[in-house]
Amino acid sequence: MPIIDLKEISKLYGFGDATTVALDEIDLVIEPGEFVAVMGPSGSGKSTLMNIIGLLDRPTHGNYILGNHAVARLRSNQRAKVRRDKIGFVFQSFNLLPRLNVLENVAIPLSYKNITLMRRLKRASLMLDRVGLADREYFMPRQLSGGQLQRAAIARALINDPNIIIADEPTGNLDSNSSRVVMELLRELHQSGNTILMVTHNPELTRYASRVVYMHDGSIVHDETTPIGEVPKIAKKIMALFPRKTEEDDLAGVSALMNALPHKVIAKKTRKKVKPRRTSKRKTKSKRSKR
Amino acid sequence: MLGTDVKVAIASLRRTKWRSGLAMFGIIIGIVSVVTIVSLGEGMKKQIVGQINRLGSDLITVKPGKSVTRDNNGNITKVHIASNIGFGTGSLAQKDYDTIKDTPNIDIAVPISLISTNAKIGDRQYDDGNIIGTNQDLPAALRQKISYGSFFTANESKKRVAIIGKAVAEKFFQEDVPIGMAFDIHGSEFVVIGVFDKFETAPLGLSTDYNKSIFIPYEAGRDLTGNNNQLAQILVRPKDSSQIGALISMLNKRLGEAHDNQNDFTILKQDENLTVTGDILNLLTGFIAGIAAISLIVGGVGIMNIMLVAVTERTREIGIRKAVGATNYQILRQFMIESTVLSVVGGLAGIILSLLSNYIIRISSNFKPAITWQIIFLATAVSLIIGIIFGITPAIKAASRDPIEALRYE
Repeated sequence: MPIIDLKEISKLYGFGDATTVALDEIDLVIEPGEFVAVMGPSGSGKSTLMNIIGLLDRPTHGNYILGNHAVARLRSNQRAKVRRDKIGFVFQSFNLLPRLNVLENVAIPLSYKNITLMRRLKRASLMLDRVGLADREYFMPRQLSGGQLQRAAIARALINDPNIIIADEPTGNLDSNSSRVVMELLRELHQSGNTILMVTHNPELTRYASRVVYMHDGSIVHDETTPIGEVPKIAKKIMALFPRKTEEDDLAGVSALMNALPHKVIAKKTRKKVKPRRTSKRKTKSKRSKR
Repeated sequence: MLGTDVKVAIASLRRTKWRSGLAMFGIIIGIVSVVTIVSLGEGMKKQIVGQINRLGSDLITVKPGKSVTRDNNGNITKVHIASNIGFGTGSLAQKDYDTIKDTPNIDIAVPISLISTNAKIGDRQYDDGNIIGTNQDLPAALRQKISYGSFFTANESKKRVAIIGKAVAEKFFQEDVPIGMAFDIHGSEFVVIGVFDKFETAPLGLSTDYNKSIFIPYEAGRDLTGNNNQLAQILVRPKDSSQIGALISMLNKRLGEAHDNQNDFTILKQDENLTVTGDILNLLTGFIAGIAAISLIVGGVGIMNIMLVAVTERTREIGIRKAVGATNYQILRQFMIESTVLSVVGGLAGIILSLLSNYIIRISSNFKPAITWQIIFLATAVSLIIGIIFGITPAIKAASRDPIEALRYE
């Protein structure tokens, strides 16, 4: 039985002539234990899809079955509870609370269940041990490296034993060494049976995935199951065209990937207006460096 | 769970110590002023009750002016405050004293007349207190002892002698026991023959402070100012205190006849005296405390302001917390607890400062403010309520943030 079953999920913004389609009748089924990489250029609807799967957002139309439950029409408080119990988020910018120590950060999701403080911290401690940060429990987030922060964030995502881990460009703010450590951790989690959904711009990282989904203009235009450890065919094409050096290359690679796809699919989809999104990596990064 | 939440709130407030402290400032000031004023009022009431109890319940006070309205059963229905705070009209005179004196069943009747002139020693003038003309029964009527010397007797009622309050001895004569010393009233020489024990007085007492008064024989006083002495009060004690009710009706009747049935005088029992002063004090403290309470509202607005800033600053935190499963209610609760902790901590600091100000008032004046448990409880409850009321808006704002928008917030 699939763990995630999206049927004709659409997300529209605005009204009348100004309507923009962020997601256009997406169908997606994810089985337990899959490691799905989602690729696509900025504005292709990846983040919107992640937000809907992660129950941060509601689809305008369509059905969403998570586990056994139809969750598309839930009210915000019910969605919050489902998020708490079934979904773990890993963000590009880590999103640990700067004023809490690592242990407290990892324990946050538990504080929204009726669990005593002692037990929360105990479980958080076990989880930190699992991601290899046992000796960093009482460090403040600013005292950790990017890779350590992301591992702590993964520990937080895991603490409620979620059905699915949603990672939105988890290595986007990391150097290649830290990236490798984080990806190895995700691989371990995958091997131990976790279901992972990861957005990435880096074709190289699709190596870790068991399945790669390509999005463009709010639609899934390509869906490929690949053996783990291998870069799928289309991603390979991009890598050949643009050997990876910088982030821009990544982005250019994704665009090239889209051009490499069957032309008619793209042509059909590009007729639609797509709301410009602010998820560009460069923007986020320059803002971060200003802080 | 609440305990943990409060700990979390305290930790989060400690991270912005200055800001939290300043936000509390308004509440602290408000609580200090309200608690201090209410406790001053309470203290005064206590002192007055003590005074009245000491004087005994059978003391009857006859005052000029109509200061209360009574129903048919004689119960007070309304207190006329103006005529109790010094606007009483001078409608009691010598003849009323005579009328009362001749009423049967009276043990003692004591006139109190204020002689509007100053005492002098050489060039030194005494204008802190009053000169009171009275008779030999005053110590019995007030149940007051003489520390040194003696009160004048019935035979001395025309002599130029004086008994003085403790404060007069210190301030005017600058001696502890100025017995035998002479001073001047209206050109006549008077000799001090006695000093009263310290009178237990209520500060801001609506009556005269006897510690600062000079007592002279009534008739000697009348000689000084001519015959038209108005009486400020006549104190009466019945022979049989169980007959006090009957005596009061009798006095009312006889004085009424003497005044052509004009109700321009008031006869009060001690417990009624208490009602009258209590009413006036309640009004006064209520009024001032009301003004002070405005600063509590200002304090509340200060807290609201700080919480609104905190909500904006912590938008991203709200987004993160929502993403990992916090419901709107849980976010609301977090911010409500924070504002309430802020306000209650301010309130408690205010109570502590009030205790301090209470102590300072006690040692530096003759006020005896009384901080009761009720006042402390009330102040805590008020600061709790302020935290809740003024925390609602920021907390609702926090709770209603969209998690996606909040996560993008920089």
